[in-house]
Amino acid sequence: METRNARLAGLIMTTAGVATILFVHWMVVFWVPTEAVQGIVQRIFYVHVPAAWTTFLAFGIVALASAAYLWLEDERADSAAVAAAEGGLIFGAIMLTSGPLWGRIAWGTYWTWEPRLTLTLLLWFTYLGYFLIRGSVADPRRGKRFAAVVAIVGSLNIPLIHVSVTWFRSLHPQPVVIKPEGPTLHPDMLVTLLTSLAGFTMLFLGLFFLRYSIELLSRRPRSGAVQRASEVLT
Amino acid sequence: MTSLRWVGVIAHKDLRIEFRAGGRVVAMIALAVLACFLFAFALDRSQVSARHVAASLTWLTVLFAATAGAGRAFDTEEEDGAFRHLLLTPIPRHAIFLGKTAANLVLIWMVTLLAFIALTAFLGLRDPGSLTHHGAVFLPGTIGLAATGTFFGLVSRHSSLGDTILPALTFPLLVPVIFFGATASARVFMERPWPEISGSVRLLWAFALGFTAVGSILFRYVAED
Repeated sequence: METRNARLAGLIMTTAGVATILFVHWMVVFWVPTEAVQGIVQRIFYVHVPAAWTTFLAFGIVALASAAYLWLEDERADSAAVAAAEGGLIFGAIMLTSGPLWGRIAWGTYWTWEPRLTLTLLLWFTYLGYFLIRGSVADPRRGKRFAAVVAIVGSLNIPLIHVSVTWFRSLHPQPVVIKPEGPTLHPDMLVTLLTSLAGFTMLFLGLFFLRYSIELLSRRPRSGAVQRASEVLT
Repeated sequence: MTSLRWVGVIAHKDLRIEFRAGGRVVAMIALAVLACFLFAFALDRSQVSARHVAASLTWLTVLFAATAGAGRAFDTEEEDGAFRHLLLTPIPRHAIFLGKTAANLVLIWMVTLLAFIALTAFLGLRDPGSLTHHGAVFLPGTIGLAATGTFFGLVSRHSSLGDTILPALTFPLLVPVIFFGATASARVFMERPWPEISGSVRLLWAFALGFTAVGSILFRYVAED
């Protein structure tokens, strides 16, 4: 029942997420005004920022689920952590490729070793290590525990990334939405950004639920007949 | 017995084993000195000033030697099952972690000192800046290296990828240590005043204390038998 509900939620949210992102692309191309200073290249912002938000949401879920797994040793928590970590790596890859495309025009270089970029890349590598350690330990229970620990340690980087643009001298643009004095974006740009954020979040949650249901199914004890058939086939 | 005393007991035990057997500490020192030797050869000093790169090379040498040493920190005990017996004793897990970190730290200090002497000699730096300031930079940096290396040393011990996975797990976390350590050390080599260095040193202390605290809390999940 639990896997069926997760699968259904996954299908609905993935469909809604894809539809919203397609609509956002229409808004980005035909509707939203062009930013006065940066020009057309600023439109990457509507993909880059939601991808970044989704990445941090995913890695936050990994850390919370990992802490729950260490505490309760519940397989569902570990399944949720794996599902979120895969999503985080994918959306992280989108963020880390869309950012340099904007940087090439805005900064004149694809990459610069400034704090937010560097810390984000390191976060991505840490969660790559999450899968490396998980898959390379012979005892699966120990592998899950080690991976959970890596996820928790890696997540300590997330708040540092958020404050890095204000703490350190940084080339990265300052926040324009989450500010004490309120958003400083043009209202149409804000609507486009919020729609894109909703689309990316729904797509991530949809993929997360689908992957979570697959992970739960793969851990379900097999019946005798299925086990024998599997042994014959392998 | 208090936790602090247990930390001392574990550190003392580990250091006695190291200095009696000698394998790991000799390997770390050999790696550090040879790395310095190679760096000095690889550097085209007609193009690059030795004083400008000495800090980076010292920190990289210490990082490689510390990582190599951390990968072997649990070898002796794991091979004959002593670590399992250690976990069966009433010693708190955080005291085991802190004791092993302290023992690793002593070895890393030896390597750091030798790497510093070797690099300044090989690069021909007659005046490397204030030694007190160098010490104040290396102290928190090496604590961070020792805590991270000890923690993930045990994790990598159980991986089929062996020592290969240790840098993959530690290097992303250690970038702030290398960055702020190399920045601060470079300013010491350039004989800049302390206020220009202290900001990086504070961040090094934050990382060292932060990771030591996190490692102490999470070590029981890594060292569970």
